[in-house]
Amino acid sequence: MLPATSKNRFLHPNTGSWHRYMAVPALVLFSLFFLYPLSRGVWTSFTAWDGFSTPKFIGLANYKAFFQDSRALRDIQNTVLFALGSAPLLNIAGLLLALLLNRTFKARATVRSLLYLPAVISPMIMGSIWYLLLQPRRGLLAILLQQIGYEATSNWMLSGSSAMLVIVLVNVWQYAGMTMIIYLAGLQAIPIEHFEAAELEGASRGNIFRFIVLPQLTPALKINVITNIIGSLAVFDAILALTDGGPGYDTESLSIYIMRMSYGNKTGYSTAVALILFFIILVPVLFSLKFFNAKEKT
Amino acid sequence: MMKKRDTLDYPLYPVVLLIALLALIPFFFLLILALKSPEGGLSSIRLIPDFNWSNFPSAWKAGSLGKAMINNTIMTGGGIVVLIFLSSMAGYTIARFPSVLNKTIFAILLACMMIPGIINTVPLYTLLIRLRGINTYWAMIFVMATNALPFAVFLYSAFIRSIPISLEESAIIDGCSWFGAFWKITMPLLGPVTSSVVILQGVGMWNNYAQAVFFLQDKAHRNIPLAVSLFFQQYGANWPLMAAAATLGLLPAALMFLFFQRFFISGITTGSIKG
Amino acid sequence: MKKKTYLGKLSVLITMLVVVLLPLGAQGAKATQTDISYFSGRVETVEWDTQQVENFEKLNPTIKVEYEFQKDASNVIKVKLASGQVPDVTTVVTQDFIDNGLFMDLSDQPFWDRILPSVKDLCTDLKTGKQYKVATNITMGGLFYNKQIFKELGLKDAQNWKEFVANLEAVKKAYPNKTPLFLGGKDSWTLGHLIEFWAHGVAKQQLGIPGSRQAFLDNAVRWDAPNGIMENFAKALLELRDKHLINSDAITATYDNQKEAFASGEAVMINQGMWVVGDIIKLNPKMETNIGFGPFPSVVAGLKPMVLSSEDSVYAVSATTKSPDAVLTFLDYLFQPEVQKSFSETRGIPSAFVDVDANWSPIKDDATRLVNSYVNINFSTEAPSGLSVDDTGRLIQKLLHGDYASPAQFAKEYQKIWDSAYATSN
Repeated sequence: MLPATSKNRFLHPNTGSWHRYMAVPALVLFSLFFLYPLSRGVWTSFTAWDGFSTPKFIGLANYKAFFQDSRALRDIQNTVLFALGSAPLLNIAGLLLALLLNRTFKARATVRSLLYLPAVISPMIMGSIWYLLLQPRRGLLAILLQQIGYEATSNWMLSGSSAMLVIVLVNVWQYAGMTMIIYLAGLQAIPIEHFEAAELEGASRGNIFRFIVLPQLTPALKINVITNIIGSLAVFDAILALTDGGPGYDTESLSIYIMRMSYGNKTGYSTAVALILFFIILVPVLFSLKFFNAKEKT
Repeated sequence: MMKKRDTLDYPLYPVVLLIALLALIPFFFLLILALKSPEGGLSSIRLIPDFNWSNFPSAWKAGSLGKAMINNTIMTGGGIVVLIFLSSMAGYTIARFPSVLNKTIFAILLACMMIPGIINTVPLYTLLIRLRGINTYWAMIFVMATNALPFAVFLYSAFIRSIPISLEESAIIDGCSWFGAFWKITMPLLGPVTSSVVILQGVGMWNNYAQAVFFLQDKAHRNIPLAVSLFFQQYGANWPLMAAAATLGLLPAALMFLFFQRFFISGITTGSIKG
Repeated sequence: MKKKTYLGKLSVLITMLVVVLLPLGAQGAKATQTDISYFSGRVETVEWDTQQVENFEKLNPTIKVEYEFQKDASNVIKVKLASGQVPDVTTVVTQDFIDNGLFMDLSDQPFWDRILPSVKDLCTDLKTGKQYKVATNITMGGLFYNKQIFKELGLKDAQNWKEFVANLEAVKKAYPNKTPLFLGGKDSWTLGHLIEFWAHGVAKQQLGIPGSRQAFLDNAVRWDAPNGIMENFAKALLELRDKHLINSDAITATYDNQKEAFASGEAVMINQGMWVVGDIIKLNPKMETNIGFGPFPSVVAGLKPMVLSSEDSVYAVSATTKSPDAVLTFLDYLFQPEVQKSFSETRGIPSAFVDVDANWSPIKDDATRLVNSYVNINFSTEAPSGLSVDDTGRLIQKLLHGDYASPAQFAKEYQKIWDSAYATSN
């Protein structure tokens, strides 16, 4: 691959140096509307704040309490389980769809739009519709099956793991289109000459994919893998809409717990949990970054 | 030669059809719900809609969807413009000039992408009160652009890295500045990336509820998600009207995608690549 | 080209002048106007509220009411309060807010003379003996039943738990395909209301209403006492489940399912509040003459049946409002008999004003009978404010799901989350 950064400084004597600061406007906006509130938010994690009256400083007590909180620990389990299912599936589905829809055919634009459509509608509403369809015993699917004589003996929502599976599938349905778009952008960015050259040399489909497409897809892969890890670990709407975190707390994710604590007069504690979630997300993301940055160097 | 490998094989057509149908099913039911008559409730939903078209004008009126659409357009449009402008520039310099400053900025943005947004809610609200930003378009635009910034910068920097710098270097030899080279050479090549950012983040802005609920309080500035939420009562919801409102609300976003997705088709096979 | 830029620059200059001068001009008009903010969480009466604000402003041109309603009002208001923005008038009132001195003392207001003394009592803050909120209506909750089936099977209001179970079993025997008692457990607040009515109700009957309110404030009720309220409550629910007297999908059925099942006759009894009546009649207009309303039995032996009759539609005024006169004028307008009559009929719940006679619901007569014949209990306004009916409802999801080894364990967990929520507000 051709170099992305220039080592040839002597080439440009009169080009000024403020191009190095092109990221500063973004930084300014970000500092004002994100970093500054964040710093104040972090401070509340060290308090026993109820969300509206004066906060009381309690040091690390929130963090200590977290590790004794069985509901929170169960939520970590639920969240990780969800992410282990959702993130890989989203990537695989997105990539397959992108490969499929990169070819030309008549209704390509329409099909692409249809696949993207699920992501456009609010997850809360979509979740309600899915529940209409999938609700045990009373959902449309259940009624249809009953009419052809099949009566489901078990209730998929009653077990944490089967409920989680359904939530993962619905989530993949909703967001595979988004993942697909980034892969499409990546595929489109591959110069046609690469394909032509490979075919001239008689390369097979599989090899073309492995040695031409995949390496060029590295930026798209990097983005999708990391974004899906973050999105899946921070899952909120998808679960809330389908099972409300239930039954009980069996499908509750950490983000949902944070929201409930925040509005349950435990805002200080919820902030601490949010920061812990940040660290939980940080680990796999750092691994992925290291992995992909190493790949890019080859 | 290009055509042969570029068109879809016929055997795959049914697969595409199946996938398209799968994507459509819930929308089909969303429509059925939107066309439902008030009697009978949810359990009376069948495959054939009731064709109660009056739900649409009722929802439009009850939710003041006209104003909400205008508000959404202004805020999403403004947010996207600000976002593309700032994030493309930032992504460019981060990808091309890995100075300490740029590396730090990138690390900060990436780290913040992993932080649950709920931490910021109250302090951001207080800040906006002091800046008199509540019930304004500009505050919402900046807040939404801020939220989308890390992802957009991430996207731009990753894709710019894969564009050879020689393209800009040749422009600079011709007398351009780095900044000029960026806008004239690199940006046009980033059509797919920019489209992705617009589509992916634009949807988030269009459907923003988490910030809108605090920062857009009066009826005049209400956006579409807020308008749809009105159909949730304290106990239960008016499902047909809500579905009608949601359907109307997603049409512009869907149309926006249809418009932008053709930029994926435009390749970058311009002659300058041969450098 | 030159002419265009000249015109362009001129128009920019004029626009800038206009933009700068406009606010100056507008300020002149504002000088005589008072602005008050009205923050409401009452999504059902949005149109009514909007209309009233309009009417009020017409009658009082110098007062402008900024009406904001939010579906998530109880969450949004906390953020507002944290930023020092207390609405002038609000419908979201909790004990915590009162304790923090956020609201104006309304005790000396003249409108109390027109409000039922029992409602005034419920609005009284026990810690100070003053009224920081005012309620214009009463809402009720209990067991709604299918009159036709009850009449057919000769069933009457159950006077104790045994009779209640017997009623349900009679229904099940006669109609095996109907659900005697339908629970919409996916919407956990419906289960939370079960706790609120059946479990908390016992404490309120045992201690009396002022007594129980104080006990909640002091966290003096031992929910997990052996053979106590929560243990008996759990036992009772499990009995219903094990005898198949509730729907088998109680945990995954929704509030909509519950309403529709009752409206269609599939469900014979549901535990709900009055707000459900209008929806049921909309679903099935024939139910208007078929909705029966009765008390719910005590899960602890030896006590009488109860009905929930609590204050509703509350308003509070900010203690730091800049325009107290304007606010009170607004409230006085809202509290006029004709205005309250229309409110009562719009919402379908009785008015707390003695001079308002509204035809608010088909179950009006049943409601009056219940209030007079059975023990009235209120909503637990003194329960720890961080504990919502959604939270407590989830515990029942767990209970019905079989997550607890015994009813006693359920009682223990209930006490635990109660104590934890209590600790955060004190």
